[in-house]
Amino acid sequence: MTVKEKLNILEELLSIQKDTLDENSLLEDIEEWDSMAVISLIAMFDSLFGKEIKSEEIKRFRTVKDIIDIME
Amino acid sequence: MATGILKNVEIKGIACAVPDHIVNNEDYFDVFGEENVRRFIKMTGVKTRHVAFDEQCTSDLCYVAAKSLMKKLNWEPSSIDALILVTQTPDYAIPATACVLQYRLGLSDDCIAFDINLGCSAYVYGLWQAATMISTQNINRVLLLVGDTSNFGINQNDSSTAMIFGDGGTATALEKTEGKDLKYFLKTKGSGYKSIIVPAGHARSRSQIITDSSEYELYMNGADVFSFTITDVPNALNSFMKEYSIDKNEVDMFVFHQANLFILKHLAKKLGIPMEKVPISIDRYGNTSGESIPLTLVDVLGGEQSDDTLKLILCGFGVGLSYGGIYLELKKSACLPMIYTNYYFKGDVSKEREEDK
Repeated sequence: MTVKEKLNILEELLSIQKDTLDENSLLEDIEEWDSMAVISLIAMFDSLFGKEIKSEEIKRFRTVKDIIDIME
Repeated sequence: MATGILKNVEIKGIACAVPDHIVNNEDYFDVFGEENVRRFIKMTGVKTRHVAFDEQCTSDLCYVAAKSLMKKLNWEPSSIDALILVTQTPDYAIPATACVLQYRLGLSDDCIAFDINLGCSAYVYGLWQAATMISTQNINRVLLLVGDTSNFGINQNDSSTAMIFGDGGTATALEKTEGKDLKYFLKTKGSGYKSIIVPAGHARSRSQIITDSSEYELYMNGADVFSFTITDVPNALNSFMKEYSIDKNEVDMFVFHQANLFILKHLAKKLGIPMEKVPISIDRYGNTSGESIPLTLVDVLGGEQSDDTLKLILCGFGVGLSYGGIYLELKKSACLPMIYTNYYFKGDVSKEREEDK
């Protein structure tokens, strides 16, 4: 999966316009990054990657890249 | 995993009473912002909720449900051997609310009565307890009451809890019946006890003077509860169905605790169950805690006349963290129509009995 494809998945998850998300964006600057987005993220990792991610791990994410790096 | 078969027991009837006061989540636009509320409704599925008045307790809703059910089944109060109440919102710190209800319902002094403190898994644990008593003891009839007024102790400015919960009280009548049985699994993951918690107000904090009011309010770590629900719950349910050779294609309905719509959809997808087999009540009633499973059954089947039976899997999961499932057959005609009520106890049992006449 390319970085662009991963970004597109996150854009859909956050309900934001396609091709607008930058890898280096800080999560705290993204208005849509909230408790509901966190739950969607856990669901996405579970269904697309068969991976369980914990809330403590999510709390350590600073940038979009931190998420993309473990999307495999 | 604790599993087993409880023999010679059947559910004879289920009733549910909810407050007639309806809260629309769109009324929260001014509090949390329209866009946030719309996203919340889309994800959780909760559009409206039945919310109890301050005076209206879990016991009142369970009382109304129990009275209607006893009347429908022609169960004399003296014929009931045990009353079990599963709730997290009892009337008092002590005594057990089941004792108060034994008196209010006019049940015999020979009746066993006690409370169990569980939430999302309440119905499954309650059925297991009631069925165990009937199956293994000299007990014929048990009235299982499961309910909560979860909007008590909620911070109205916390968007994760202010718009999610609905209130309700249910009554389920179980009776010794040759040839009928139910299968169960029960599990606990106490390591997650902090995931849904009201920290203050009980013995753990008795030596402290707590001035932070949020300590008395419900805290929920939605992410942790969600992770638990989509991993531990389907794993346990699949093992259970495998152990008892339950073919999911032959199950008519999977009635899950109505946690939120997103969770239910994800759970169904993971288990390979079509959503047509997963009844939903959360859209109109909210997350109704322990009573969500019987409430959903009443919502779907209430008032059905047919004596056809349905094969059901009931599965509750959440606060504790506690979870479990039951496989049983239920007559379609077992559920009474939904009851909407503004009733509450005014402190005088003799007056309550007069009003009932």
